Amino acid sequence: MNLSRWKEILRNRFRSLLQRARVEEELNKELRFHLDQQTEEHLAHGMPLSEARLAASRELGGVAQIQEECRDMRRTNHWEDFVQDVRYAVRTLGRSPGFATVIILTMALSIGANSAIFSVIDGVLLKPLPYPQPDRLVRFFLTNPDYPKFPINRFDFRDYRSRSRAFESLAAYTRNDQQLSGTGEPIRLSGFSITAEFFHVLGLHPAIGREFSTRDELPGNGHQVIISNNLWRTRFGARRDIVGRRIILAGVPLTIVGVMPRGVQHPGNMYHAVTYGETVDVWTPFTFEGNPTNRGSHYMDVIARLKNGITASQAQGELEAIMAQLGREHEGDRGWHVMVIPLQREIVGRSQRMLLVLLGAVAMVLLIACVNAANLLLARATARQREIAVRAALGAKRSRLIRQMLTESVLISFIGAVFGVAIAIGGVKVLVSLLPADFPRGSDIHVNTAVFLFTLAIALATGILFGLAPALQGSRSDLRGSLHESGRSTTSSSGSLRLRNILVVSEVALACILLIGAGLMLHSFVNLLHTDPGFRADRVLTASISLPDVRYKTRAAVEQFYDRVLTNLASAPEVRAAGVGTDLPWTGYDENLGGFNIEGKKPPPHQDFHARYHVASADYFRALGIPLLRGRFFDAHDNKDGAPVLIINESMARRYWPGEDALGRRVSFEDQPKEKDWLTIVGIVGDVKDTPASNGAEPAFWWPLLQRPGPLSGDAAIAIRGAADARLLANRLRASVHKLDPDLAVANVHLMEDVADRSYSAPRFALFLVGLFACLALTLAAIGTFGVISYAVNRREHEFGVRMALGAKPSDVVTSVLSEGMRLALAGVLAGVAFGLALGSLLGSLLYDVSARDPLSIAIACLVALAAAAVASYIPALRATHSDPINALRAE
Amino acid sequence: MSKPSDLIQGTLDLLILKTLSIEPKHGWAIAKRIQQVTEEVLQVTQGALYPALHRLEQQGWIRSEWRLTETGREAKFYSLTRAGDAQLKKELSQWERLSNAVGLVIRMA
Repeated sequence: MNLSRWKEILRNRFRSLLQRARVEEELNKELRFHLDQQTEEHLAHGMPLSEARLAASRELGGVAQIQEECRDMRRTNHWEDFVQDVRYAVRTLGRSPGFATVIILTMALSIGANSAIFSVIDGVLLKPLPYPQPDRLVRFFLTNPDYPKFPINRFDFRDYRSRSRAFESLAAYTRNDQQLSGTGEPIRLSGFSITAEFFHVLGLHPAIGREFSTRDELPGNGHQVIISNNLWRTRFGARRDIVGRRIILAGVPLTIVGVMPRGVQHPGNMYHAVTYGETVDVWTPFTFEGNPTNRGSHYMDVIARLKNGITASQAQGELEAIMAQLGREHEGDRGWHVMVIPLQREIVGRSQRMLLVLLGAVAMVLLIACVNAANLLLARATARQREIAVRAALGAKRSRLIRQMLTESVLISFIGAVFGVAIAIGGVKVLVSLLPADFPRGSDIHVNTAVFLFTLAIALATGILFGLAPALQGSRSDLRGSLHESGRSTTSSSGSLRLRNILVVSEVALACILLIGAGLMLHSFVNLLHTDPGFRADRVLTASISLPDVRYKTRAAVEQFYDRVLTNLASAPEVRAAGVGTDLPWTGYDENLGGFNIEGKKPPPHQDFHARYHVASADYFRALGIPLLRGRFFDAHDNKDGAPVLIINESMARRYWPGEDALGRRVSFEDQPKEKDWLTIVGIVGDVKDTPASNGAEPAFWWPLLQRPGPLSGDAAIAIRGAADARLLANRLRASVHKLDPDLAVANVHLMEDVADRSYSAPRFALFLVGLFACLALTLAAIGTFGVISYAVNRREHEFGVRMALGAKPSDVVTSVLSEGMRLALAGVLAGVAFGLALGSLLGSLLYDVSARDPLSIAIACLVALAAAAVASYIPALRATHSDPINALRAE
Repeated sequence: MSKPSDLIQGTLDLLILKTLSIEPKHGWAIAKRIQQVTEEVLQVTQGALYPALHRLEQQGWIRSEWRLTETGREAKFYSLTRAGDAQLKKELSQWERLSNAVGLVIRMA
């Protein structure tokens, strides 16, 4: 019934709006009918015709008035008023194109910037991940005081899988790159070893074939592979009959059992990280080899799907209980806790703070633009006071005047929003191209319906926000005052002036907050650039090589290969030094070894000696420019016949031999070391920062390449320092490798400078945007100050003229105006600093080695804000000195 | 100046709805009927009737259609919608409660 009523109402509204002429005509007919009836009645009572007609019209009342009231009842007047208001607003804007341009442009810029940043936030933080029911996907890690976030042991995983009830399914995975040789240059494929049901957990299915089952996990099985859609199309011609075909990866023949569809996003991983996205080419089964009681080695990432209705914290509780159980069963499982993190947070969590800071910054710009617009409108409302007073005198109601002025401000913000969307579309393209290297979900960022709705909403909100104060102020016209006022000068009430001063102060304050933010980030970035990373990136080329086990079965074969490649490289005139190691700085490698012994020392209770471990060849440090602090680098004698040796970093020396000389000390990896098990420290090298943003380095040591305990498994990293441009070394490296083994892929060829540079890209991105917004804010605040001071000068022109006629010097006038501007600016800066101090801590982890209350940044921000205000007031001040005393006196 | 000074708006609405609950009528007939029934105590300015009719129609309580009168002339007839019928019942019971209360106060005071 209610619905039918609404249908009725809608039908009537549309009729009133769209068939106005017909509705009016019907009303006329209806009233005519009434008059006729009434007349007839009077006639029937014996009244003469002319008199009957007259009486009927008298009884009905004024027809025009009834018509107008009926229109009111049909609400069409609202619409007509609106159309009229818009027309009027367009006309008024057209009359002052300069004013219109400035105000629309500032709104367009700030709305556009907001929409662009919102697009990024929408794509990265708001849009759900592209898996079915993504909110039920979680990752989990081990944690303890030494290692806050640690990968999972493979046998532990198997126990979680069989014992836990909180998950619908769970799977583990670990990086396992492959080498595909055949036609053309051999290529490295990004690959993962996955347990059964990995794709099932994600809610994905192979487009062709099947995924792995628990049978494929058994040692000896597992010679299968699932390939990505991309690989299927580029390397296998998108053939439908691909399942069952064999391909040779890293020298091993594998059977293709499945092809994944397009758009399979890798959920990200921790150990040898590959970023979220379509970044994986092949998946192979993970086989549980080795002794299941060995719970010491941790390298698996886990993804799990919660059962319907189970929360992440319930799952965490269950996993904690299982972990405690495992701790009782296995020595290696003691002392760990489990940490469950929703997948979305794991993927985008690190970017969240930066994005929210950017949103805050850009919202402040919008606020300043609003204040500016309010100020401009207020100035104009003052200029239009007489017009408004006349309209009020002619009977316009105050609400009607306010509505008309609000229509104008909303119109301005909507025109601004139209240009703003154009700016956002361009801006988003620029933003995406500037995104930091490891930024997640860049491909999900688009200007879409949500962004349009957001833009529409802020356009409406800002239009009302900046229009309201001027409308209230402007419509409160004192009739007599305004009409009486002579045309000499447009004075306004002191209330309006006070409001405008408050607006300028808040503008300067907001700009000052942004300047402080930008200053802090700039200071932090400069710190980051100035800190010594611990290596010298210039003229260094890096690459990685992976020797397939099947063809390099013995240590000797591996050693011989690297020896030859390095010798060959070192003999080239353009090469200064060439080394090989397990890894390179800042490439996400993070392996730890606990439980070694130090001769003559005992670890504190419940702790062990631990350090990150690496392997390096003789010239590895020289190639990367890592300085030797004491002792020596490795040399050719550090082989299996020589005495066992180690090189440690400064952190390790300071941590375990504080105040002592670590050189010549001995450590062992055996529990009960015999004399031959001790390794002597022969060199101490400088610390290489663990990540660009870390303040130092964890303890670390290097085995010599030829004395390393196990095989040099997986990737080996090559570093070459050139005599000149490192770019020229790439071909030399490929030639050296392919001369020995044409089937090897030389992968990840990068300049170390680019690796280092990519690591700065996140803070640089944030700095660039916040800096840009701060500049925008400063410009807007300067325009606002300029406007208000100019206005004040106009008001006092007469006074200045008189003063100069009485002998005041131009400098006195300038000082007087400047001091007025600076008084406002100073108030704004003080407020800005107060808020800046309160808000600074929100930057938190975005700052490097800078306190959120860094006095230098704050001082510079204040000076910049004051300087801008000074310039903005100086120009009107100069004009004030041109006040002509004669004019002033004549006007008197 | 448009609203009948001696008739609050809600009352006029109620009278119109009540009048239409018997049978569909055109504007003039409604005016006559209200004058008759109230024995000309409530003087409805005839002009005020039409804005009220248009308002009630916009609110979906009544609907209108053009029909022939007994004398063969075309007139706009108004009738209650189902929603209008319900609204009338609601307003009647409210009105009764109010007038009872007022009556009580007058007698007691």
